[in-house]
Amino acid sequence: MALIRGPHAAPAIAALAALALFFVPAAHLPAFYESFFYILCYWIALATSWNILSGYAHYLSFGHGAFFGAGVYASATLTTKFSVPFLWSIPAAAAVAALLAAAIGAVVFRLNRLRGDLFALLTLAVAFVLSTIVLNTPIDGGPGVYLSAVPLPDIAGSPTATIYVLGLGLAVISIGTAYAVAHSRLGLGLFAIHDDEDVAEAKGVPTFRYKMIAFAISAGIAGAVGAVHAMYVSYVTVGETFGITVPVYVVLMSVLGGMRHWLGPAVGAALIGASLFAFTGGASATIGRAVVAFGLIAVILLLPEGVVPTLLRRARGWLKKRAKPAAMPQVAPPAALRSRSPVSQAGAPLLACFGVEKSFGGLRALRGVSLEVKRGEILGLVGPNGSGKTTLINVISGQYRRDAGRIALDGHDIGRTSAHRIAALGIARTYQIPRPFAHLTALENVILAGTFGGQADRAAIRAEAQHWLEFAGLGARAETLPGELNLHEGKFLELARALAAHPSLLMLDEVLAGLTPSEIASAVALIRRIRDAGASILFVEHNMRAVLELSDQLVVLNYGQVIAAGAPREVVRDPEVITAYLGAAHA
Amino acid sequence: MLEAAALHVGYGDAPALWDVSLRVGAGEIVSVLGPNGAGKTTLVNAIARLLPIRRGALRFEGAEVTAASAQDMCDRGVALIPEGRRLFTRMTVEENLELGSYRRAARAEKAAARERAYAMFPILAERRRQLAGTLSGGQQQMLAIGRALMAQPKLLLIDEPSLGLAPLIVEQVFATIRQIHASGVSILLIEQNVAKALDLAERAYVLEGGRIVASGRPAELRAQPQIRAAYLGADV
Repeated sequence: MALIRGPHAAPAIAALAALALFFVPAAHLPAFYESFFYILCYWIALATSWNILSGYAHYLSFGHGAFFGAGVYASATLTTKFSVPFLWSIPAAAAVAALLAAAIGAVVFRLNRLRGDLFALLTLAVAFVLSTIVLNTPIDGGPGVYLSAVPLPDIAGSPTATIYVLGLGLAVISIGTAYAVAHSRLGLGLFAIHDDEDVAEAKGVPTFRYKMIAFAISAGIAGAVGAVHAMYVSYVTVGETFGITVPVYVVLMSVLGGMRHWLGPAVGAALIGASLFAFTGGASATIGRAVVAFGLIAVILLLPEGVVPTLLRRARGWLKKRAKPAAMPQVAPPAALRSRSPVSQAGAPLLACFGVEKSFGGLRALRGVSLEVKRGEILGLVGPNGSGKTTLINVISGQYRRDAGRIALDGHDIGRTSAHRIAALGIARTYQIPRPFAHLTALENVILAGTFGGQADRAAIRAEAQHWLEFAGLGARAETLPGELNLHEGKFLELARALAAHPSLLMLDEVLAGLTPSEIASAVALIRRIRDAGASILFVEHNMRAVLELSDQLVVLNYGQVIAAGAPREVVRDPEVITAYLGAAHA
Repeated sequence: MLEAAALHVGYGDAPALWDVSLRVGAGEIVSVLGPNGAGKTTLVNAIARLLPIRRGALRFEGAEVTAASAQDMCDRGVALIPEGRRLFTRMTVEENLELGSYRRAARAEKAAARERAYAMFPILAERRRQLAGTLSGGQQQMLAIGRALMAQPKLLLIDEPSLGLAPLIVEQVFATIRQIHASGVSILLIEQNVAKALDLAERAYVLEGGRIVASGRPAELRAQPQIRAAYLGADV
């Protein structure tokens, strides 16, 4: 995110450039230049639209040609067979492509195993299937479709100028959309999906819906570009339309320009488009292509994040060196932990699990677990490794679906609720091994949790995120990327991120592991302060000293079953607990 | 056996260790204590030659190894049990063990070493065909120890063996370390469970902010009130 938010100059410069380009036809250049600029706009729109899903959320698609092709043939069919005016065929083509993407997304985005490589392969298959259908039905049938008889409305003085202005319009729309998405809640959610989709969901990001929206926007723009391009080429064939050029070039352009920046793909498209033109025109076409290819390899080796993010980072580093060190931002006064669920009578159970079962294949990880977390209570959950403690947290937070039993928050059944809804209801968790969003700074990690934790005002979210970082002792590390934090700091970032969602129930998974005794003492004090601020806490821990010090109620799991529950000092004297968990030294 | 003289180690611009000297004698068990971020893991990784040493000298059995490769250290008989186990999670228990016997001196005796590991941890023998990633935390730590022993090391570097383990399992892991030490292997142990580490160690170093601030026998360290307060907690 640090890289996405360019200086405010960037959008202004982009807008000015677009405005200047709008007047190219007025310069009465030879038609060739309009054609050249159209091709640049064409690639800019395609690459930028591809990036909205594939770059932001890292769902690499090799199927962008399919949506482009759907647009080409939608427009060609509507204009030649149904005499629809060309301009009307553009939104229609966008709608066809967006619907196609939505239909594919509705199936594949539900399946967790289709993340990553398999998604890329699947989109490639979609393109093949679609081209086969078009080739073997009356949509094309083999000979191709001529659009030369379709009337082209005169917008800019000549047919090439008209096509150019339409292409420019689409490039502006797609860059504008990419900018708007990157700076919205949707964009923040997509960047979180990029880094860790499960965690994004657990922090309240509606991952399925966001991927669908991004996919439909991305495909819709590609479809509109297809419609205009059909008119540009005026004779469309399956071989040209569904070839490998579009899907491969959009990937190359985005990688070159930088996939994490809204302007990256456009810059990459302009660079590749222009250099292909400069080097491959005329007699030396073959050598020219080789030069472009080597140039690409060199740039990717030197600027692996892409041209735009790398240059922005260097520029910012240079500015920072010249600028006086900025004053520390004012930290908001400590916000009390406002739990979001209505406060019922004290002592009533906030969370109730009854007979919860969960199996993985033949392994029964949870065998009828029942427990209750009362309002304002700290419940300690202990048990041997592999006894099901983390599984229980995963089931309560909705990461896994329980096989049987009932889980109720504030009396409402949440056993079938999706993870992001559960997060919105006020359950937050930390991970035993920290799972921060690797490409977001520490502060942005906390901001994300606040944004999807029910807050609306951006300035307030930011100030509060800074507050939670200070609270967790990470105030000075706000701009640090998680990779540079040590294990201890990573665990406290987890804590800050969980608190930013204002949970009514906080589930802590071994936050104390790996801390020294004095660090444990300060962490114990911190946990107590969180409880005093109004949250109930379920915490999994092996450090028995801390467990005894903190817990109001102690529950012991063994082989997925509760073997003891009650007042901590009594539970640790239970012979079964000593045999299964504590060992003779603690007896 | 191992001698580090005035080591300086760093990542990028930020130095992580300054002027750290320590020694592990043959057959000795030495512990390094200190708060998080003090540089303990950096220290063992530098000794295992996974991180470059900027200044200073590292000697193992009299030979200069300051610029040796990690693979060379393994061949010389130094084995690391890394923080967080770092098993090959998609391989079986048995495959993980066999990967431990890359050391030239240990290859011939692979089968015998494997049987010794299974004898030490019978649960691993039961699960020899199971994927390492599906083991419980305690079993994974046993496998990590077993894998390191496959190299028949002379010096074992152990980084936080009790991390995330249940009390009963922690007891077992420390009993195992004691047993390994009794068989003649030298050990450099990093451990947050300070009481346990001091019970086991013959000498200990306290690391803070990348420098060694105290060292000595456990009884001497326990006696120093400021060390007690800062690193050892009340329960030592």
